[in-house]
Amino acid sequence: MGALPELSVDIGGLKIKNPVIAASGTFGYGDELAPFYDPSLLGAIIVKGLSLRPMPGNPPPRIVETPCGLLNAIGLANIGIEAFVGEKLPSLATIKAPIITNIYGHTIEDYAEMARRIEGVKGIAAVEVNISCPNVEQGGMAFGRDPDSAARVADRVVENTTKPVIVKLTPNVTDIGLIAKAVEAAGAQSISVTNTFLGMAVDVATRRPKLANMVGGLSGPAIKPMALYLVHEVVKAVRIPVIGLGGIMDYHDALEFLLVGARAIQVGTANLVNPKAAIEIVNGLTDFCLREKIKDINEIIGALETKGEDHEKKGDRKDKSKANF
Amino acid sequence: MDKSRYPMVEEVVSIGFNREIGKDTFLMGFPCVALTSRAKPGQFLMIQVDRQAKDPLLRRPFSIHGVLDSNRLMILYKVVGKGTALLSALREGDTISAIGPLGNGFTLPGPGERALLVAGGMGIAPLFFLTQVLTRAQNHSVKMFLGFPTSQDVVLIDQLKGLGVDLSLTTEDGSLGIKGLVTDLWDQTLSQESTQKPVTYACGPASMLKEIAQKAIARNLRCYVCLEGYMGCGLGICQGCAAKAAGSKDKPYYYVCQDGPVFSAEMIDWEVM
Repeated sequence: MGALPELSVDIGGLKIKNPVIAASGTFGYGDELAPFYDPSLLGAIIVKGLSLRPMPGNPPPRIVETPCGLLNAIGLANIGIEAFVGEKLPSLATIKAPIITNIYGHTIEDYAEMARRIEGVKGIAAVEVNISCPNVEQGGMAFGRDPDSAARVADRVVENTTKPVIVKLTPNVTDIGLIAKAVEAAGAQSISVTNTFLGMAVDVATRRPKLANMVGGLSGPAIKPMALYLVHEVVKAVRIPVIGLGGIMDYHDALEFLLVGARAIQVGTANLVNPKAAIEIVNGLTDFCLREKIKDINEIIGALETKGEDHEKKGDRKDKSKANF
Repeated sequence: MDKSRYPMVEEVVSIGFNREIGKDTFLMGFPCVALTSRAKPGQFLMIQVDRQAKDPLLRRPFSIHGVLDSNRLMILYKVVGKGTALLSALREGDTISAIGPLGNGFTLPGPGERALLVAGGMGIAPLFFLTQVLTRAQNHSVKMFLGFPTSQDVVLIDQLKGLGVDLSLTTEDGSLGIKGLVTDLWDQTLSQESTQKPVTYACGPASMLKEIAQKAIARNLRCYVCLEGYMGCGLGICQGCAAKAAGSKDKPYYYVCQDGPVFSAEMIDWEVM
């Protein structure tokens, strides 16, 4: 066995040791999955979405399982930025992976204020701006569905922090490339694609929606092909790094996102099912690179082959990958 | 990181037995020292039948039903959907993944304190384990009220009698035991036994728990309920299994997996249950 492959990637002002990031809302406030493995081994950790003030979240039922998917309407229940910085963050100091806060606001000024509060805080490596949550009445997705308001939010956050700013987009738009371009122009250093897809489930016996919030956001393997397509669209539209997410369950899924051009990936729903999912993906990528003699994971990023090869050659490659994956 | 400070583990366990003991009701047992040595009554496991499967996607919570010897755990479940149907098809030697023990578990009664256990249907699942522990300790007076819809649904009578617990059985249609609701029988007993203040442990449908909790609060009696929640992870991460907290403004919701599944009756806002 040769030397370990280089897995580090640059996600726009932040270099992370491998491209596997725990997605917001599926990794608690950072150390809840520590019983299962050392979270320091991940590329980065994005903590539960935070707002200026604590949020109670939606009434139950908040989640329902659908085929290969999880429909949720948690409603961004969180302890608020103050409590996070004061009570949770100090206990995360032992985690060697960068901690990224995910923020959302009811108004554009809320986002700016959150960015100011985070600016001086040691231990926060970057900010992910959520303009894509489908489960809150105000804010969230409302900002992410219009290029101008998306850009205004990004602009106000960038203006108020020197930390790298990642903007997380919603898939519930007609042209995601347009939104991506707008936040890039506003100064965002990278873009996460994608948050959950709007969805519903109905209990036929009671004729009621299965979620108290009526509608929710769909995640899990059910959305992976659609998320992959949106990552592909955004990669084409912008020059800044794109972080791909949506239904990634294993390293094979992760590779698909990297191949279409995602600089890094996030693991979300998989953490809920398999607490070790994210670390297994890190290990899976390492093993894959060793087997395929890939020295640097960046060789894979955007290496999607779309033209030129004849069928015979393609067939060979297919067989080869089948044997190795 | 020091893993020993964490109580929960993920274990792939090999099924010892998995048999239908009543209508659509299965009792499964498997050896696992790590889980058994940590388990307390009222705690639960998050179980996954097939690690590679994407449908069903999520793990499902199961109360720890009891221990056999010192190294085997049991779960009791009713086949209600795809996941439990898959579980019921497993045979001896098949494996499942279990994360646990999770949740807080029951606060045991004080020495000599009388315990009234009220189980509605599959609510017997965690209360059987509590009965095991209380009858083994021998310093509690334990009475159990067990209710099912019909005689066809009745399970575990012999096993409970084997533990030596004072048992009252009700069925809603009167086809076995006393006709009526288990809550009424519990209520009558409280009225008759007014000399001492028993502590009540209840598990069953939400409507049953609501009635018991509200009556226990009104009588100023200690009462613990074991709630069911629709859980995404069971680990306190997804915040799916919310239960409305009574009164408290700083904590509007409890999470069944993390703050429960056992709650003291007055902690919950029963009006919205």
